[in-house]
Amino acid sequence: MITLTDFMIVSAVLFCTGMFVIISKKNSIQILIGIELMLNAAILNLVAFGKYDRINNSGQMFALFAIVLAAATTAVALAIILNVYKQYKTIDPDKIKQLKD
Amino acid sequence: MNKALPYQDIQTVCFAIAAVVLPFAAFVINFLFLGKSKLSGWVSTVAILVSSILSVIVFTRVWNVQQIHVKHLWFIIGDNTLYTGILLNNLSVLMLGLVSVIALPVHIYSTAYMKDDAGYSRYFQYLSFFCFSMLALVVMDNLILLYAFWELVGFSSYLLIGFWFDRATAVQANKKAFIINRIGDIGLLTAIIILFNQYHTFDIAQLFKDGGLIASSTINNGLWISGTTLTPVVWQYIACIGIFLGVAAKSAQFPLHTWLPDAMEGPTSVSALIHAATMVAAGVFLLGRVYPLFNEAELTTLAVIGCFTAFMAATIALTQNDLKRILAYSTISQLGYMVMAMGIGAYATSLFHLVTHAFFKCLLFLSAGIVIHQIKHIKEDNHLNIDPQDIANMGGLRKKLPLTFIATLIGGLALIGLPLTSGYLSKEGILVQAFEWAEHKGSAYMLLPVLASITSWLTAFYVARLILKVFYGDMHLLTLHPGIKIHIGDGGWRYKLPLVLLSLCCLFPLFSLNPLSHTQSWLLYGLSSYKGYTESIFEIIVPVVVNVLSLVVMYYAYIIYIKQSIWVSSQTGLLYRISFNEWYIDRFYNCVVVKFVLALSDMTFWFDRKVIDGFVNLLEKIGVFIAGIASWCDRYIVDGILHLSAAIVQAIGGFARRFQNGKVQYYLFSMLLAVIVVFILKILIWN
Repeated sequence: MITLTDFMIVSAVLFCTGMFVIISKKNSIQILIGIELMLNAAILNLVAFGKYDRINNSGQMFALFAIVLAAATTAVALAIILNVYKQYKTIDPDKIKQLKD
Repeated sequence: MNKALPYQDIQTVCFAIAAVVLPFAAFVINFLFLGKSKLSGWVSTVAILVSSILSVIVFTRVWNVQQIHVKHLWFIIGDNTLYTGILLNNLSVLMLGLVSVIALPVHIYSTAYMKDDAGYSRYFQYLSFFCFSMLALVVMDNLILLYAFWELVGFSSYLLIGFWFDRATAVQANKKAFIINRIGDIGLLTAIIILFNQYHTFDIAQLFKDGGLIASSTINNGLWISGTTLTPVVWQYIACIGIFLGVAAKSAQFPLHTWLPDAMEGPTSVSALIHAATMVAAGVFLLGRVYPLFNEAELTTLAVIGCFTAFMAATIALTQNDLKRILAYSTISQLGYMVMAMGIGAYATSLFHLVTHAFFKCLLFLSAGIVIHQIKHIKEDNHLNIDPQDIANMGGLRKKLPLTFIATLIGGLALIGLPLTSGYLSKEGILVQAFEWAEHKGSAYMLLPVLASITSWLTAFYVARLILKVFYGDMHLLTLHPGIKIHIGDGGWRYKLPLVLLSLCCLFPLFSLNPLSHTQSWLLYGLSSYKGYTESIFEIIVPVVVNVLSLVVMYYAYIIYIKQSIWVSSQTGLLYRISFNEWYIDRFYNCVVVKFVLALSDMTFWFDRKVIDGFVNLLEKIGVFIAGIASWCDRYIVDGILHLSAAIVQAIGGFARRFQNGKVQYYLFSMLLAVIVVFILKILIWN
């Protein structure tokens, strides 16, 4: 029997993996992937907790919305990364320091 | 002028003043306007010509006629009133005439002698300045001004000895003359101060006239009494010693004579005027001025020193090879005669000898100047490396320089004191009176006149040696350097005229109509202290013996130097070495006095260097040390506090800055860390 705890553990692993990717990678695309992982961990939690809602499948519905929104934000983020690349010829966030100081 | 004088006297005084001031005017004109012009020689010569004419006029008016003394208030200090003025008596007009008349031929001679010298104008400036100082010295009526001109005379002598200041020897010589004269000047100054303390006046006429202040003072029970002033008698002795020191330094007497031979570094015409005829006679002149001051014992001491100087200088002159050095030592010897004559009471004869000596010694020096000049020409024409003053190089000049030869012969014979010359009159006078004096005093004193007679024969020998070596025989240069060409002669009228003039003055008619009797000179009767002679046996014996032996000695010299049939003195004997090395007096002074003074200076230098400088350096080190501490405090404590606060602020800033480094991931990481920390803390606190 797969319990809620198992979902939570998978979700926490996903979240931590995403967090680790965001902090450690030197490539903006990879960081974006890390964000997606964290978002998916949150969506997984949403679906898992949706089983205990009084209305059936409302959790899945909201998860679908969240996925669509995530796709939209990812598209926006990719567009930003493209522009950043045009501007700086790199997508390593450490080397983009024009706003600094 | 304190009292009305007849017109004639005022004129005489004005003439005397003009005679004194004219050379000074020449000096000023030369110094200010003429620069390096050849005119300066003639300006000086004309000045001294007029000066000598005026002096002769003054001389004829004052001599044996009257004494003129004019004085003018100079200044008042405290209770003392000082007068300045001129005193024309027989002694001063005699010196006035002598100095200017001797200076005239020397000036004429110098215009030719110095004509190729770069310092021609400077030479005449100095010479005129010397004439002014010397003439002023003899007419001044007070001791202060006498002293001042005494110093100026010494100073101009210093300038002229060092005239060729690019020669090291000349510089050495004038330094030596200056230092030795300083010793004498200190003595004279001391004496003047003591005299003023005793008599409260500087006036020479008041002090030294017959029945004047000095004549009326007495020495009683160890006290020196004059008027109301009583002082211990030792001061009188000190005053006499002081005056003697002054005389000894100026007139080159025994302990202080060593400067005069070295003074021959100056031009020969200067040696003729200053270091033979006039300035060195200033000491004897001073003795004549202050004569009443000396008592019997002091006069005897003077006589002994004078006699010793005469003898010593004559022995030295025997072996010298430098023409001018021989003449310099003969000058010292003759000055010794004068001082001795003063000592034995032959006051008038001493001054008589001063006058005759001035003429013949000036003549000898001018002749020597011509000889040296000509030898120098030979040297330059033939590029020889010889000393033009060395008589060993000369010989046979009789035919080349006939006039010079005759002049030297006359001068030499006068110096020996043979009859028909002026030297005979004065020198025999001194010798005769020395014998009479010794007879009067006792047999032990006989040594003095005997020594003086021996000196006279030594003089005969060295003069004969000089004349024979220079003018007779063969020219030694020709035998040493066979190929040289010799074109020399007596020179122009400016050389010849002075020689002729002075030669005439060296013969007897100028001083006495009787060539054989020294007692009948007009000059002797004019000098106040003259005492008539007692007709003694010495009157006849002394001149005859002295002159005959002089002739024998001269013949002996002739045999030695010309015939060379006997060879007497080996040049290594003890006596020869003593004489040649000038009695080792210079060496003694160098070893003892100079070394002592140098050691003393070294010591004071060491003291200065080590103690005083050391103290100053110590102070400096202390200062530096304190400053070092202050600087350390400043650097490490004051600055340290500032730097520490700055460093703290910087550290805080650097720490805070790290959070703002612009790295997105780092922000996120730190945010995460903060959250974790909050959680950990919450868990810890919770539990």
